[in-house]
Amino acid sequence: MFEERTGRDTATLTMVVFRLGIVIVFVVMVARMFELQVIQNERYETLANRNRLLRMETPAPRGIIYDRNGTILVRNRPSFEVALVPEDLPFDDLDTEDIDEEAVEIEKVLRILRADSDPDVALRMAAILFNKLGYDDFIRTVQRVNVPISFLSEPAFVTPVMEDGRLTMAEPRKVYLPDLDQPLPLEGLVALVKRTVAIQSMGSASDPVPILDGVDRTRAFEISEDSFRIPAVRVTQVPVREYIYGDLLSHVLGFMGPIPAFAAENYRAAGYTNPNEKVGLNGLEYTYQRELRGEPGVRYSERNILGVDVRTVGPVIEPVPGLNLHLNIDRRLQTVMRDALQEMMDEVDAPWGVTVAMNPQNGAVLGMVSLPSYDNNIFAERIGEDYLKLEQDERRPLINYAIGGLYPPGSVFKMVTSAAGLAEGVITPQTVVVDSGPIYLPNRYFPDDRSQAQEFVSWNHKYGIVHGRMNVVSALALSNDIFFYYLGGGYLDQFQGLGHQLLSKWTELFGFGETTGIDLPGEVTSLVPTDQWKRQLFAEPWTTGDSYNMSIGQGYVLSTPMQVLVETAAIANGGTLYVPKVVHHMTDANGGVQKDFEPEIKRELPISKEDMEYIRRGMWEVVNSDYGTGRVARVPGVEVAGKTGTAEFCEYIPEERDCRRDEKGFLPFHAWFSAFAPYDNPEIAIVTFVYDGGEGSAVAAPVTQKILEAYFTEISPRPQSTAAQP
Amino acid sequence: MFARINWRNFDWLLLLVVLILSGIGVAVIYSATRNSPDLVDYWQRQINFIAFGLIALFVVAMLDYRQLSIVAVPSFLLFLAALVVVYLFGEAQGGSKSWISIGGTLVQPTEAGKFLIIIFLAWYLSWFRDSMHKLPYLLMALVLLLAPLALVYIQPDFGMTITYAFMGGVLILAAGVRYRHLALLGAGALAAIPIFASTLQGYMLARICIFLPTDEEGHVIAPILSILRTAFDRLPSECIQPEANTAASYNVEQALIAVGNGGLTGMGWTQGTQNQLLFLRVRHTDFIFSVIAEEFGMIGAALILLLLLFVVWRILRIAESAPDQFGKLLTTGIAALIFFQIVINVGMNLKIMPVTGLTLPFISYGGSSLVSMLFAIGLAESVAMRHRKIEFF
Repeated sequence: MFEERTGRDTATLTMVVFRLGIVIVFVVMVARMFELQVIQNERYETLANRNRLLRMETPAPRGIIYDRNGTILVRNRPSFEVALVPEDLPFDDLDTEDIDEEAVEIEKVLRILRADSDPDVALRMAAILFNKLGYDDFIRTVQRVNVPISFLSEPAFVTPVMEDGRLTMAEPRKVYLPDLDQPLPLEGLVALVKRTVAIQSMGSASDPVPILDGVDRTRAFEISEDSFRIPAVRVTQVPVREYIYGDLLSHVLGFMGPIPAFAAENYRAAGYTNPNEKVGLNGLEYTYQRELRGEPGVRYSERNILGVDVRTVGPVIEPVPGLNLHLNIDRRLQTVMRDALQEMMDEVDAPWGVTVAMNPQNGAVLGMVSLPSYDNNIFAERIGEDYLKLEQDERRPLINYAIGGLYPPGSVFKMVTSAAGLAEGVITPQTVVVDSGPIYLPNRYFPDDRSQAQEFVSWNHKYGIVHGRMNVVSALALSNDIFFYYLGGGYLDQFQGLGHQLLSKWTELFGFGETTGIDLPGEVTSLVPTDQWKRQLFAEPWTTGDSYNMSIGQGYVLSTPMQVLVETAAIANGGTLYVPKVVHHMTDANGGVQKDFEPEIKRELPISKEDMEYIRRGMWEVVNSDYGTGRVARVPGVEVAGKTGTAEFCEYIPEERDCRRDEKGFLPFHAWFSAFAPYDNPEIAIVTFVYDGGEGSAVAAPVTQKILEAYFTEISPRPQSTAAQP
Repeated sequence: MFARINWRNFDWLLLLVVLILSGIGVAVIYSATRNSPDLVDYWQRQINFIAFGLIALFVVAMLDYRQLSIVAVPSFLLFLAALVVVYLFGEAQGGSKSWISIGGTLVQPTEAGKFLIIIFLAWYLSWFRDSMHKLPYLLMALVLLLAPLALVYIQPDFGMTITYAFMGGVLILAAGVRYRHLALLGAGALAAIPIFASTLQGYMLARICIFLPTDEEGHVIAPILSILRTAFDRLPSECIQPEANTAASYNVEQALIAVGNGGLTGMGWTQGTQNQLLFLRVRHTDFIFSVIAEEFGMIGAALILLLLLFVVWRILRIAESAPDQFGKLLTTGIAALIFFQIVINVGMNLKIMPVTGLTLPFISYGGSSLVSMLFAIGLAESVAMRHRKIEFF
């Protein structure tokens, strides 16, 4: 600069390069800003929103369930939950060494909740905290404050859970669970609450931590008042399902509980964001979960890095209440059915029983009782020990046996055989079969040896009675088995029967090989036995004897009471199979009908009205003729038609390598009765089943009679009483 | 010495821009700290720092910078001594042992050291100006630079080390180095890389590794990883999978989100969500540029960047019209210092430079940072007022 020392060293160039550097830096930085702020702006905006916005759901009020007369069966009862907000608890001030301010505050709260004086509260609280913390943390926390825990004497298995709640692949561990029936002393609870709060505040310090639930309204108000000066306490209302009639309708209504682990993925895919949300787990609560739930409200809460709620951002979507269900079931009829069945079951000491009623003209389910039942209210707030008790009950009360139990139908199946015979032209209404005592099928390998032949008897033979000449009507009335053996399997070369193919075909036509399609979960079905089925299962061909057994509803045929009811209704209405419907229609919160359930026809049976009339007539004679087996089912003023069933079953006893038998060597019986009324224009069809109940005519028919009598006097009285009948 | 002060030569435009930037700094600090109860009064404190800084600026401007050549050698030796004392008895803060307690208050000698190095090197390079074309004098200059550099490097203070290196390098180059000497030095520097690599601290390497290109799974791409593996015995996890170590990359990631979230026009003052909801860390110092980018957008950030670079440009202009070599090198050093801090800080906010903890001149919160920056402007003004030529604009 001052001299001529340019060009040979870096002095001048440095200044030029420096200036150039400034320009380049500006260009590069602005280009980078353009890339980040303009080109990728959307991406970073999303990331920033993900940082700050939290989707909050307000659950919609769940739909209410009414019976056909508008009686409320399920409603939402407010229950209260006490929670602590971590950010509102005081910090442990380290200047005061001997006092833990946070623990002092928690203890104050627990005293207000009466955790120190009310063992129920202490137990409930321990159960909640145990579920939150898990086995290891629970024990460690309690033991750290030197509080003794009593353990259960029986070891249990726990599946280790990872910190984020996922199940590990590790083997379940055998541990001794703490006995949650022993109330913990206050120090233990304080330590547990403190630990739970600490864990929660790692996520968001604004989210309340529930420490006690199931608080009733009065207590909730008291707690709110007492904890007025403690900012961390939140008393919130949580709706709880209240099943007003308890065990009367639990199999129909079902119950709710948190989303089960195995279904978590499905629910999440369906838009359930809270993994602890309670969903219908059984009954209508399950089937109509989507409709009952409604649409939860949504708002976006803005949170800072500490998880503190700052404000609500954007539009708030209000929740849409769930739809209300209006059932076909009549609560009064249901009560009558339950009482009648329970009374009889007590009398004959039967373990299980079912009675189901339906309108045969449209498939509307009028009542459905499966005993034993359970009170679904015990699941309303939490699924816990009570559930385990029910699950472990030998009689499995949680199962709805009306659709979940498979039994040999016995003689109530004979209408199927009759219909097949008439429709396929194997018999005419005038075809006569003579019952002159047991019949014998010759042994396949020793056809001439009478002693090796297989004997087939009718129920009446053990009383020393033969029924003589019968057509299909009187055979149904008498429930004679010989007639149906002939009809189903034929007899030697004297009589051409249906054969297994036609029997199977008509069994399927009547809906026995498929579920009825009722709007309840847990329905089962068995396969219709066929030749091929038997060959695959037993490696044996179908025999005439198998056809014999099948044609009287024994042997390989199994059905649910609901399937028998659909069969009965089809006879009653002249040949139409309806899909049973529990729900009649749904309304929204304003009472507008949202969905009306039209009767759904599954199938029209390929049988003429005239032929069907003979079967109906047979069922009429069962009840109304002097020789009918179901005379006990007569109801004054109404013409009832029915069919008794007494189905042998085998309860295999491994020690004896045989089925259970009575002292005379007879197998035990299920009692069945299927009926419809009035005969001319049926409006109700009923099937009653009593497990191990004995004679259908003595056990199932009287129950049905009681129900029908109540139905036609209290629930649907006849217009003018024709009680003057002699 | 006051007689020759020519206020007409005082660069008022430079001062105006510096004041605008400091004012913007106060506004942004307010926005960045208003939601943190511990920090709410920082913007007021910053105003106080500006006041102190302005006094320092004018006092320094009135002094004749040439007097500084007297103190250059003793203060440099004192600085070296201080660094040794820090090395032996210093206290560690935030991972580096760079603080020393004097009467109970912690002092960081490296901050003032920036100026001492500028003054000393400017003195050395101008004093031996005629001999600088001889290699021994050049090497001596390098040795004098390397002494504090090495002491800071072992503290370890990565940011300060590269700042010193950059300033020193610019000063030496600006003083004039023969091209063959430059080639020689380049070769020497290449040869020294292994030594440098062997002493590089793990955390420094980790900070650099955050910038390495990764594949879809977040692993550093294979060729670079194999080079790293041959160069270093132990690799920090960031050098294998940078995103895996969220703690190390969190601040940078959040800063980047803040910048991107700002868009073209910004979310408005005190409206940036990343800033206001505290997702952005060290918002009022290291990452204050992210606050600017989020709240004022690309347009605002680019304008502020333009002002910052204008200051550098303006100081370079003073350097070129300095009355002597000492004044020229002094101002060039100051320009280099300010420029370097801008590049590193903004670059770190935009994730094109490693995280070093260097503040953004005039804008970041901090008394020592702001006052020393205004002090530097004062030095530049002192040179400006003693113009060799009268009036030329």
